[in-house]
Amino acid sequence: MIGLQHYLTLSAILFSLSVAGIFINRRNLILLLMCIELMLLSVNFNFVAFSRYLGDETGQVFVFFILTVAAAEAAIGLAILVVLFRNRRSINVQELDSMKG
Amino acid sequence: MFQTLLFYVFSTVLIAAALGVIFSRNPVHSVMFLVLAFFNSAVLWLLAEAEFLAIVMVLVYVGAVMVLFIFVVMMLDINIEEVSGSLTRYAPLGLIISAIMVFELMQIIWLRGSERFVLEGFASMPEGYSNTKALGAILYTEHVYAFELAAVLLLLAIVAAITLTMRKRPGLKVQDINQQVSVRREDRVRMVKMDAEERQ
Amino acid sequence: MNFTELLPAAPEILLLGLICVVLVADLFISDENRIITFWLSIAALFCTGWVTIATQSAAPFTMFSGSYISDSLSHVLKVTAIGIVALVFMYSRDYLRQNNLFKGEFFILGLFGLLGMMVMISANSLLTMYLGLEILSLSLYAMVAFDRDSAEASEAAMKYFVLGAIASGTLLYGMSWVYGLTGSLQFHEIAVAINDPEINGLPLWFGIAFMVVGISFKFGAVPFHMWLPDVYQGARSAVTLYIASAPKLAALALILRILVDGLGSLHEVWQGMILVVAVLSIIIGNVVAIAQTNIKRMLAYSTIAHVGFILIAIFCGTEQGYEAALFYTLTYVVMAAGTFGMIILLSRQGFEAENLEDFKGLSSRSPWFALMMLFFMFGLAGVPPWIGFLAKLNAIAAVLDAGYQALAVLMVLASVVGAFYYLRVIKFVYFDESTDKTALPVALDTKLVLSLNGVALLALGLMPGWLLALCAIVI
Repeated sequence: MIGLQHYLTLSAILFSLSVAGIFINRRNLILLLMCIELMLLSVNFNFVAFSRYLGDETGQVFVFFILTVAAAEAAIGLAILVVLFRNRRSINVQELDSMKG
Repeated sequence: MFQTLLFYVFSTVLIAAALGVIFSRNPVHSVMFLVLAFFNSAVLWLLAEAEFLAIVMVLVYVGAVMVLFIFVVMMLDINIEEVSGSLTRYAPLGLIISAIMVFELMQIIWLRGSERFVLEGFASMPEGYSNTKALGAILYTEHVYAFELAAVLLLLAIVAAITLTMRKRPGLKVQDINQQVSVRREDRVRMVKMDAEERQ
Repeated sequence: MNFTELLPAAPEILLLGLICVVLVADLFISDENRIITFWLSIAALFCTGWVTIATQSAAPFTMFSGSYISDSLSHVLKVTAIGIVALVFMYSRDYLRQNNLFKGEFFILGLFGLLGMMVMISANSLLTMYLGLEILSLSLYAMVAFDRDSAEASEAAMKYFVLGAIASGTLLYGMSWVYGLTGSLQFHEIAVAINDPEINGLPLWFGIAFMVVGISFKFGAVPFHMWLPDVYQGARSAVTLYIASAPKLAALALILRILVDGLGSLHEVWQGMILVVAVLSIIIGNVVAIAQTNIKRMLAYSTIAHVGFILIAIFCGTEQGYEAALFYTLTYVVMAAGTFGMIILLSRQGFEAENLEDFKGLSSRSPWFALMMLFFMFGLAGVPPWIGFLAKLNAIAAVLDAGYQALAVLMVLASVVGAFYYLRVIKFVYFDESTDKTALPVALDTKLVLSLNGVALLALGLMPGWLLALCAIVI
């Protein structure tokens, strides 16, 4: 039977993949934002699985709010990305190096 | 048994889609893979009997957030050749870190966790249980404060996104509805009085 | 439900209402009269502060099914946060006007950020803590990118956003484990649940580790500090002033509520992680700060060092340690607000006083503000009798009483190293010739408030009794 462990494992793999994606991806900021979405997805999996296991809906309410926040966050993140692109004509991660010290 | 099979099929597709997001060279492909990942997650949540969230996931995420992503990818007109290219020097480090993390989490979930968690599947829900109803019942009572805060957050996101991206450039040709409506006949039509001319 | 039951949450409700009023009023105000938005915001802060003081109750009070708590800690932190945001607005006004950034959105986002801080300060469950944190963070991201035509500001905002979002994700992953194992989101219920030896095991510790990483990110502690110097440098000075001051109070609430209220009895588990982060912050913050030529960057690294002190006080795990951390944070935000206020004072149209050289010869341009700069620097360096000295002394005493002599020695050494770069600024101010003789173009009321801020550091240092007593009552 499929139970808590299976969902937690899936979530752990997703979380690690998103972390790997953040490390690997030094090319494109949009990909970084997508990796963050993946990370939140893995958190949601954990909450859904635990909520189902405990028979307590609070975890699912938390997921509801994470979805709301993630939507707001994506809107602001993409707005900042657009502003950055207007100023720099590039969204390459490696070019974000004007400040050093 | 059938459910187990479904779980494995969908989770395989989910992981493949997540890999696709990370390794695609074209950002548009990445977004599409992410959409696939979200769809599969929704199905997996349905299998876990979290129906409301599964539907919200498709509506909010696939329907709104991912469209926003696609929109920005298209708008920014990124040069795909510039974006693609070999992986960076951090790539091996990232892969090693994530491999270690998966290994450790497996240990915790399967070895340490088995002392804590019952290994059988989820307990079945009582007859006539409605996930949406149960969530609705606590969302507007117990979690009303969080609900209001979420509303504040969305208002803030609107204000912030408009602040950052709305521009009034000089020379931009926009309709001024007020001016259009308040126009009078005299501004547009000039009546000229002239004598009738002789027929030639 | 009776409306009087909502009274303990009146500050947040009122502030939200007033934000909406300012938001709508700002639409109808023309650019020439934008100053009205500023005064409306100040009035909103004043009303909220007054209501916060008026509605305080001695006994802790939870509401909204236990997701909101109103206690003496929340009152002290809220009133301080409101006061600091008011200071920030006062200092920023002329700077924003001179740089064509005087828009209503700056104040509205600032007020939204304050609302987020207040929600965090009063949070009694992981869910409200997370939502408060996001309200604060989203306002800060937008404020950093506020100057839309500056490439540096948008770059800093992007870095801040990406790292902040990763930190939120990590924090959430830890929260999901803590929720799954304890079965609750409320701090008091979590505190009860973790006493069960069956729950207190490796999986829970793993969740705590993820949460500590997330919290350290938000604090800007080493090794999760990469965003802090870039954000301080890239953002316009008014925004840096905001980020550097009030949010530290919310960060303290984050750590006190989650780690102390919720997971206090597992203090041996998180102690080690906090220690590593804190010691690294003290060392790296102080050493790297010496090499900086940009004053905003230097102060960023000095912030990292101060965060290390706060974390070490919390690491002790004793009441004395928590009191020291609270005292340190309360005094630090006042000093930070004043210091960045000085940077703003020296900046003017098209010119940012960003480099240490810009402070050269300040004593000949304005002896009084040179003295104020001396006050702020002595406060941050911890020179007696300024208040910063007592804050450091308290933290070191807490560490000694908890029995960590070596750590106390390290803290003293770090303070000495830290004193060097603060005193270097004093050297620039008093002993170097100025290349720039222009007068300081700031309105009288701002000068007055800044002077009060500076004098307060000395006055508090001479009469710290009430503040110490307050911290003792609160914890």
